[in-house]
Amino acid sequence: MMQKLFWLQYNMKKPLIALIGNPNSGKTAIFNLLTGLSQKVSNYPGITIDKKNGSVSHHKTQFDLLDLPGTYSITPETIDEQIVSEQILAWIHNPELRPNAIVSVIDASNLSRNLFLTSQIAELGIPIIIALNMMDRVKAKNEDINMDALKKLFNAVAVVPMSAVKKMGVSALKDEICNSIDSDASNDRNVLNIPSEIESIISPITTFLDSHFKITTQILRAIALRLVTRDSASLGYRNLELLTNLEYIELKDIVSTCRDNLNEKGHSSNSIESILRYSWLDSQLTEKLITNKIDVKVKSKSETADEIITHPIFGPLIFLGILYFIFQSIFTWASAPMDFIDSTFAQLGAWLVNVLPSGLLRDLLVEGIIAGVGAILIFLPQIIILILFLCLLEDSGYMARVAFMMDNFMSRVGLHGRSVLPLMSGYACAIPGIMAARTIDSWRERLITILVLPLLSCSARLPVYTLLISAFIPSQTVLGIFNLQGLTMVTMYLLGTFTAFLIAKIFTKFIPQKGNSSFVMELPPYRIPMLRSVFNEVFQRAKAFLTDAGKIIMAISIVLWILASFPKMENGESVSIHESYAGRIGHAIEPVIEPLGYDWKIGIGLLTSFAAREVMVSTLATIYNVEESEDEFISIKDALKNDKKPDGSPTFTVLVALSLMVFYVYAAQCMATFAIVKNETNSWKWPMVMMVYMSLLAYFGALLVYQGGQFLGFA
Amino acid sequence: MTLADLEINQCAIIKQVGDLKPRLLEMGLIPGTSIRFIKRTPLGGPIEVKVRDFYLSIRLDDAKTILVTV
Repeated sequence: MMQKLFWLQYNMKKPLIALIGNPNSGKTAIFNLLTGLSQKVSNYPGITIDKKNGSVSHHKTQFDLLDLPGTYSITPETIDEQIVSEQILAWIHNPELRPNAIVSVIDASNLSRNLFLTSQIAELGIPIIIALNMMDRVKAKNEDINMDALKKLFNAVAVVPMSAVKKMGVSALKDEICNSIDSDASNDRNVLNIPSEIESIISPITTFLDSHFKITTQILRAIALRLVTRDSASLGYRNLELLTNLEYIELKDIVSTCRDNLNEKGHSSNSIESILRYSWLDSQLTEKLITNKIDVKVKSKSETADEIITHPIFGPLIFLGILYFIFQSIFTWASAPMDFIDSTFAQLGAWLVNVLPSGLLRDLLVEGIIAGVGAILIFLPQIIILILFLCLLEDSGYMARVAFMMDNFMSRVGLHGRSVLPLMSGYACAIPGIMAARTIDSWRERLITILVLPLLSCSARLPVYTLLISAFIPSQTVLGIFNLQGLTMVTMYLLGTFTAFLIAKIFTKFIPQKGNSSFVMELPPYRIPMLRSVFNEVFQRAKAFLTDAGKIIMAISIVLWILASFPKMENGESVSIHESYAGRIGHAIEPVIEPLGYDWKIGIGLLTSFAAREVMVSTLATIYNVEESEDEFISIKDALKNDKKPDGSPTFTVLVALSLMVFYVYAAQCMATFAIVKNETNSWKWPMVMMVYMSLLAYFGALLVYQGGQFLGFA
Repeated sequence: MTLADLEINQCAIIKQVGDLKPRLLEMGLIPGTSIRFIKRTPLGGPIEVKVRDFYLSIRLDDAKTILVTV
């Protein structure tokens, strides 16, 4: 047990404060305001869920801050929420891990729902500070909240009115946190009164827990209530190995008997905790005049805006317009920095060639490492721009509307409304997209989203498409307005996208549904994104891309460099790429790829694409340079056009180019994606499934294009 | 009648929430709570409602499991 709990431990030297709150409560904004730039984002072991830490120093007091993922309840529904749930369980069962205080972040304009979680947290025996965020909205509605009554209700150390957007209340919150640390406050009062009838029905659970753990009665009762209400509440006991398998089964049996007894007495067991807490909350809020009575008839500004934004006709049109704008920006804004990175690395390579003595080290540096780093950095501009847009759309509240509008279509093909954001990320790079699929609460839909996501043409395919299209597709106007080159490019993107939906539908037949699929999505009020949060997010995610994907791309670049430059001849000279290991592999696979119209040189390109697809372009450049062994650089486009097979026919035709592009649309060539899928699904099975189905699609898709094209008489 | 049967802008009180969606209960859709129907999406897609102080979208099939009284 201790080992399992180890990762939930924390550097105990400084006082620890944890932030817990609902999604959309502004928790992360408050975290950013408190920690400034001192925060560290790391992953929870085994899963790539962000664990955000930061240290704060305020008037001589120093403390560490832990930001937990947003959740509506301690009982988990998604894997993000599972983290919160298990962290809290670890605190309950290991008092020395407990934070000095919990800051319960509340959206004050949405009081009762946010306080549900607070009422659960208030029973952990840990002092709580209630941060009433978004007070500006409450004031704007001419309402107020009785802070004193609220403080008494939850036995809180303090209630701090705040507005993260207006940067209001941050210092007061710091003061209260420091006070709670200094005063060594405790909190051992029960909040919720469980009716004696229900308490006696669930007492077998309390007795069982009491015999296994040393916990106070107030916490025991709260746990028992959660256990009897929902199955997922017990998951942590198994995952953290707090109970042995036998004990766990025993607990489940006891819980199940208690449920039957509750249902027999006319209490619906799976709603008992919610009903008790909300009935108590609703009555207390009214009785103690903490806030005005809720009136659902009140129409918010966001509701008015949504009359257009989620309108059945205008809504999808606006979404398409935004998509068009984003892609247009990615392609136009990113080109300058990408050219800059490209030329910088070329110059750096050329400079090293000049200053270093020729030899293995220089070759490794220039052709292996610098080429590898360049291959990673070149995508950063596009990824940053895309992540920036997605963060803006997410933080403004718009992405929730997109999920709402798209869920119907998405669920028909086996995906989910929440799949839209990951899929959109996939057009820049599959890796951030696959990571973003975590918010999908149903396992099957999350898995299918991950599996089909690499079919969307990421930015690494773009250089390959660009090269082949500009070399072999004539720039002519078709149907009066379309340029044939542009049309081919769009076709490749659409091919990937439609195939992704088709494959998703096919996967629904093979992947069984675990539990229920559901779409429960809050449509938060629109707000202007906080630049600080957005930049922070973009920075963290770009960094994650560079380190996670970068390591793999780098390693593969070096392996490929070895394959392309060895074996050495006896005098130490490099052999031609034709003779190298890579060349030999290219020759070896030639019979397999010949039906697709490719020769061994393209074979080497397919091989090197495993580092990153765009490496194909530089590989071809290397191959043609090496072969001609001339001093002047041959434009790769002309080289491709002029290359002849041994029989004198051209290597590349329009048909070969098309076949190759289709191959690139479908092929699973990115090892970094493979590694992330393994990470996110926690098994080798799913990356293998992805690899197999994509390779089959790529091979037979390209075969169909080449052989079909020849059959129809296109040369 | 169920939540799915309400007309646009119609208010109702939740009578009973189907057994399958405990998350809705945790979000405060307990019996006795007021709810206002906001909109449908085309072809039987999700619906939007206002409950307590927030706007929520759920699938039409789930809305059919929530009984309400006008």
